[in-house]
Amino acid sequence: MIEPSRDLRDICAIAGAGTSRLGRAPGVSSLDLLVEAARNAVADSGIHPREIDGIICRGPDDIYSHHQMIGERLGINARFSTTVANGGASQILSVALAVMAIRHGLATTVLCGYGRDAWSRTHSSEETRVRNETRPDSQLASEFGPEHGYYGAAAAHALGAMRHMHLYGTTKEHFGRIAVDFREHALRNPDAQMKKPLTMEEYRAQRSIVRPFGLYDCSLRSDAAGAMIVTSAARARDLKQPPVLIKGFGTHNNLRGWTADDNMIVTAAKQSGEAAYRMAGLGSGDIDTAQIYDCFTYMVLAQLEDYGFCKKGEGGPFVASGALRLDGALPTNTSGGQLSEAHAEGVLQIVEGVRQLRHTYPAGRQVKDAEIALISGHGGNQVCHSTLILGRDR
Amino acid sequence: MSDTAKPEPRPAPESVLFWEAARRHKLELPQCSACGKHWFPPTRACPHCLSADFAWSEVSGRGEVFSFVIYDRVYHPAFADEVPYVVALIELAEGPRMISGITGIAPDDVRCGMKVRAVFDDRPGGASVPVFAPA
Ligand SMILES: [Zn+2]
Repeated sequence: MIEPSRDLRDICAIAGAGTSRLGRAPGVSSLDLLVEAARNAVADSGIHPREIDGIICRGPDDIYSHHQMIGERLGINARFSTTVANGGASQILSVALAVMAIRHGLATTVLCGYGRDAWSRTHSSEETRVRNETRPDSQLASEFGPEHGYYGAAAAHALGAMRHMHLYGTTKEHFGRIAVDFREHALRNPDAQMKKPLTMEEYRAQRSIVRPFGLYDCSLRSDAAGAMIVTSAARARDLKQPPVLIKGFGTHNNLRGWTADDNMIVTAAKQSGEAAYRMAGLGSGDIDTAQIYDCFTYMVLAQLEDYGFCKKGEGGPFVASGALRLDGALPTNTSGGQLSEAHAEGVLQIVEGVRQLRHTYPAGRQVKDAEIALISGHGGNQVCHSTLILGRDR
Repeated sequence: MSDTAKPEPRPAPESVLFWEAARRHKLELPQCSACGKHWFPPTRACPHCLSADFAWSEVSGRGEVFSFVIYDRVYHPAFADEVPYVVALIELAEGPRMISGITGIAPDDVRCGMKVRAVFDDRPGGASVPVFAPA
């Protein structure tokens, strides 16, 4: 059988990518951060802003019709425009929707992106510092959780981590290896929020948050945004940058719930990845670098298994082998990821994938001979997933 | 001592009967009249077969710890005196899983797969909250 989605393979490219300042930007709203990233993406592509006729973005959960505000700020009337709401899976979903819109003539050039002000939001006053909650009140549970002291995204993911440890003998040191390796990558990235080295000794001595997770198992609170320009591969070839082809994408959503079935162990990355591999005509062995949605260390380990880089249950030994390092078998989160570069719900992973495939990084930051990158997005209530496979133009 | 009360459950319309049963120290879940399965959290259609024909029925309260976490950080001031405390995902004998608390055992001794039974924690605000103790 011919995979229907293969008709979408290589027909579009990411022609431009940009980020805002990353880390702490007090006084700059999430909208303004995304405008900053969008301006940088437009400039990077060399495209005239008036050519953009599509906007697909995700806003902070409390901003209604976010894409309208972005269009207003950028002076763009769009033929195709929407805000998507699939949590950290939204950013790749936006790119996938852009490809489908372009394929079917609904738009020619689509701006995708996301910005958030999570650092400022949780540090603007003593009250928000204590509360440390980025979601609006309307999204917080009113029963079956708070009465037990069940709060925060860390605990939900930690339930998966604890069960993985129980089933497969995965250890804290395995999680630590992910945190330590990504921090090492961040030190090579001048834009990264985290500037200090992290040793395994420091990881072991970390402040516990919700076991098995401590501080360094949790991603950063960041003010950060990223944006991409998606257009046809043909058009991209006439622009300033070497096009980065969109070879495959997939999505899957375990909407029965994170705690249902086996979803904490075999995540939606499995089906999402299989769909993306089918569309691209590629497999896990073809991936030169991975940019994995690292909200928590365990989620990296689970996804590496689900994407087939190692067998289910063998993620611990896989990361312990040094596979994720820049010179490892699968250089992963080469910017430092959300654990150490900045957390913008997966959009910075796409930007990093694009940049690695352009081969413009200096040695010591560049994944050698990277031809194919796999990028993942994960979110909602831990059940929504999206996968993007990018490749260099030949 | 913390002078902040633990949050009272604020029931959705679909779960009012769950909390009423809990006040009588009964663990009751919706059970489908068409396929016979239970589900949780309470809603008004069976997620297994979409039948809207169901009844509230008492379950055994027996189950096991599917997974758990141990809170060392205080997220809410009412739990400042509780840390370290356990939040567990309990798989009931009847199938549904629920987030709950664990009582009657030191946090470090909790294990995945541990057999547990429901007990009821009567809160000052009037709610009775089902939690689980080693069976
Ligand atoms: Zn049923």
